[in-house]
Amino acid sequence: MERITHELMLALRGIKRAPAPYFLTILILSLGLGIFFSNATLYYWLNNDPLPHKSHTLFFPQINAGAHEDGSREPHRILSYRDVQLLSTSDIPSAKAAMFQSAGYARLPSAEQRSPTPVHLRATQRDFFTLFDVPFLHGGRWPDDAARLEIILSKASAERFFGETNVVGETLQLGNELFKIIGVLDDWALLPRLYDVQAGNGAAETADIYLPWETAYDLSIKSNTRTRSEDNRNYNENFAVNGREGYFFQSQFWVQLDTPEQQAAYEQFMQQVVQSEKEAGRHPRPSANRLTNMSNIAEAFDARNRQLDVFALVSLLFLIVCLFNASHLSLNRYLASQYEFGLRRALGASRGQLQKQILADVLVSATIAFVFSLLVAAGATKLITTLLPSTRTLTSWNIEMVAVMALIALIASYVVTVYPAIRASFGSLSRQIK
Amino acid sequence: MITINNLSKIFRTELIETHALRDINLHIEEGDFAALTGPSGSGKSTLLNILGTLESFDSGEYFLDGQPVQGLSDAALSRLRNEKIGFIFQSFNLIKDFSIYDNIELPLRYRGFNAKERKQRIEEALELVGLQARSSYLPGQLSGGQQQRVAIARAIAGKPRILLADEPTGNLDSLMARQVMELLQQINEQGCTVLMVTHDPDQARRAARHIQIVDGQLHDSTLYQPLSQPLAETLGD
Amino acid sequence: MSITLLLKSLSQRKVITVLLLVQLTLTLALLSNSVLLSHQAYSLSNQPTGLDLDSTLTVDLNPTDDNLMSQPALGGLIQRQLEALRLIPGVRHASFTNQTPLLPGGMNGNTYVEDQEVTTNIPAVPFNFADPELFDALQMTLIHGRWLTAEDSETDSVVLTETLATQLFGESSKAVGQLINTGTVVGVVADIMYQRFSSDQYYALFFNEKLPSAEHGYSLILNVEKSAIDRVRQQVADVLRQVEAETDVLQVNTLRQLHRRVFQQERGLAILLSALSAMMLLVAMISAYSHALFHGLQQQNEIGIKRALGANKTRILFEVLSESWLTTGFGAILGILASYLLQQQLAKIISLSPLPLWLPVGASVLLLLCVTIATWYPASIATRVSPAHATKAL
Repeated sequence: MERITHELMLALRGIKRAPAPYFLTILILSLGLGIFFSNATLYYWLNNDPLPHKSHTLFFPQINAGAHEDGSREPHRILSYRDVQLLSTSDIPSAKAAMFQSAGYARLPSAEQRSPTPVHLRATQRDFFTLFDVPFLHGGRWPDDAARLEIILSKASAERFFGETNVVGETLQLGNELFKIIGVLDDWALLPRLYDVQAGNGAAETADIYLPWETAYDLSIKSNTRTRSEDNRNYNENFAVNGREGYFFQSQFWVQLDTPEQQAAYEQFMQQVVQSEKEAGRHPRPSANRLTNMSNIAEAFDARNRQLDVFALVSLLFLIVCLFNASHLSLNRYLASQYEFGLRRALGASRGQLQKQILADVLVSATIAFVFSLLVAAGATKLITTLLPSTRTLTSWNIEMVAVMALIALIASYVVTVYPAIRASFGSLSRQIK
Repeated sequence: MITINNLSKIFRTELIETHALRDINLHIEEGDFAALTGPSGSGKSTLLNILGTLESFDSGEYFLDGQPVQGLSDAALSRLRNEKIGFIFQSFNLIKDFSIYDNIELPLRYRGFNAKERKQRIEEALELVGLQARSSYLPGQLSGGQQQRVAIARAIAGKPRILLADEPTGNLDSLMARQVMELLQQINEQGCTVLMVTHDPDQARRAARHIQIVDGQLHDSTLYQPLSQPLAETLGD
Repeated sequence: MSITLLLKSLSQRKVITVLLLVQLTLTLALLSNSVLLSHQAYSLSNQPTGLDLDSTLTVDLNPTDDNLMSQPALGGLIQRQLEALRLIPGVRHASFTNQTPLLPGGMNGNTYVEDQEVTTNIPAVPFNFADPELFDALQMTLIHGRWLTAEDSETDSVVLTETLATQLFGESSKAVGQLINTGTVVGVVADIMYQRFSSDQYYALFFNEKLPSAEHGYSLILNVEKSAIDRVRQQVADVLRQVEAETDVLQVNTLRQLHRRVFQQERGLAILLSALSAMMLLVAMISAYSHALFHGLQQQNEIGIKRALGANKTRILFEVLSESWLTTGFGAILGILASYLLQQQLAKIISLSPLPLWLPVGASVLLLLCVTIATWYPASIATRVSPAHATKAL
């Protein structure tokens, strides 16, 4: 212990002797690391697998349905009610759920006069909560996929409307209808929200209220991200019928296929669906089925944030520049103290002892650079989220990430220090102290 | 060649003033071979630096080749040094990354000679010091005596009017020292004024003229004295 | 000092020189590509919009009561809102539409010349519900035919933007009177930037129909005297809530703000890259500074010798600077190559125009300038070496 403190004291004294070049080195190192950390954070969350244990079993099926033969082999990004029905008829998936995002206004029935609160809605089916491992705090999901005036609240919206979380059995007004609350979710956020990447909302906030998919059609609640109609029905009227029967596309659909066999079987099932549709004269476009795994969803829907990709590449280059620069500065610093190294070796310090001294130097530099780089990273993150607001949800740090950053800072300091130090300390002894 | 009137040099720190040189008067004729001796700290190096325009002085006058030195700009002093003075240092002061050729070429470049003329002068100088075959060597590959001969070649390549040598044999063994001294005498015989700082009485005796300095003052400035004159032994260090 | 001697002295310090070169190369590559991206973002965001960005206010809003979401209640609500807004001093024109220019999203549809669907079809053209006053509210310019009147209400009359009319009929002047899938063309207006990511950002089609439903909200467009814009902006939400309490005013923006938002990603990236480039220049300057300072110290003896041999201060300054220049020059050559390589890599990720040669060359000059500034001070310190002292040392 005493030895270690001695080495650390020596390292600090080395800094004190020439603080300016030392802090320039650290400054450059911290700038490089900080910019890199802030980008790596965004990049990490963007490419994070929020469900590592099951993402490989979650799939987004698409059939090339449409009203007209236009020769396109590119299936629509969204499914019609009918597509969902067809794709749901199979029992092969262990879980399956259709869904879309919408928005509305909610209020407590007792507070009719107060202005309502805007809410994010998700119309979905009961398996949504098993597909994506959504935790319940109170109550539970719907017993089946039928239409019913029952909703599930996020924890935050339960607290916002009622001031508490256990509100199962309470009533909330959504639009003109009264809904019974049957469940409240625990804190939950999928980051990125891969099930919604296809709609361009991978980094958006999760929904406040979940309502049954069938009920949404009954109440003429439509998607607020993307809808598409391919016939001349009036979808502003009698949506419960038109929305279900017409060529009105708005839904996403996810299935869980646990094994390769299940996946193959489901693909075959999709082919059969298309074939029988074609036989019935309802699938005019060429057959072009897709079954996209969750981990490929961003790529498949071209939803990657290219700007961030570019910035990630550039910040990596910047880190390299800073590393080269810092090692250049540190080489200068060590060459300047070559004389002292030589003297200490002449006084009998072994190479091992000098190496320990160098390691102590690395440790001190790494600590200072780490602290500075976190500050730089925080500042850079602030700047990035101001300039690119879509990244706002992607900036949190967890313990593991901070630990990895500390490790990177240590490695960077080591890389920057070791070659110069070795060169300075193991040069020709006689030449140094002549 | 050199005329100095009442020249003084004071080193100042916050606490004390040291009179390195006091009211020095000196005259050196063209073609002289003068030895400057004196104990450590007597001011002989300071005097040599001032004569070489490497250091400024506080009062007095200095005429080099008839030209007043005081009041000249840095650029003018540099040109004066480059054209009229050759330096030989105790530690040779060759640039270690440069070859022998490049070392000798440096002052000629400053002088603005073209490549052809530089080459001719370098070859002449190397021939004089007998190192033609080594022109592409680095200084580190030569012995001390050879390095000093390179330094001499560099000093004379520009055909200076005066050669200033500061303990030119101080880092050399006696054989090499003798070679260097013979070289300096040879150069002097060709018409170049030589002023040499030394603490070796034998070498001082080889000079045609012997100047002593003690405590910043020229105690004596004599013309040629017979070698038997014991003065140098009693006052030299 | 001669180039050969400089080269020799650089080759003596291989590691440091390589470290410097790598930095300079990367810095230059980043610098020129950042400028390229910034320039691209700048020219993108400076395309003509056909809009009066600074005197147009847009209000996005939603009724919060389901009973107000559909006709006829919705039509009445919109009329009351517009009447109230027109009374605010400074408001010259007020109109409604289903989608705001410049904002992504809205109602889009296929458009083709009647009976020529296969050859003329244009997908995803923004469809705009428009009343007669929208023309003035958006300060449109009529090119052919006429704008929509009250008599066009619930008829099949449509107005096209010039680019759309040209795309459909070859010449925009031929459009008036023609039949397309959505109706009869009665007029052509000058281009307006509607949806940036539509088939073409200047496509738009207008028809005078009542908005059937407010389920996706709607937009009120105000043309306001420039001097009154801030005041009007503050009043809008209150005025609208006085008309109908069940109103959620989502946002009130000038078109200038929306325009900025549309190009936010590009602008953001350009600013970030520029900031990073500035930092790289700073790092390069620090590096040049400390390199020169350190070598000034290391080479005190050498500089002293040179001074003794007759080099004046200017010459020493120039020698130290020219060493920096030489390294930077090599870095610049490598950096220009690296600029093109980086441009190729970036072009794989985002759309990026080719790199004109003047850009990396200009960036090299800038880098050289920065390096010179950074080297100046340590170089001038190096010239102050006392030759008498330096030649004695060792």
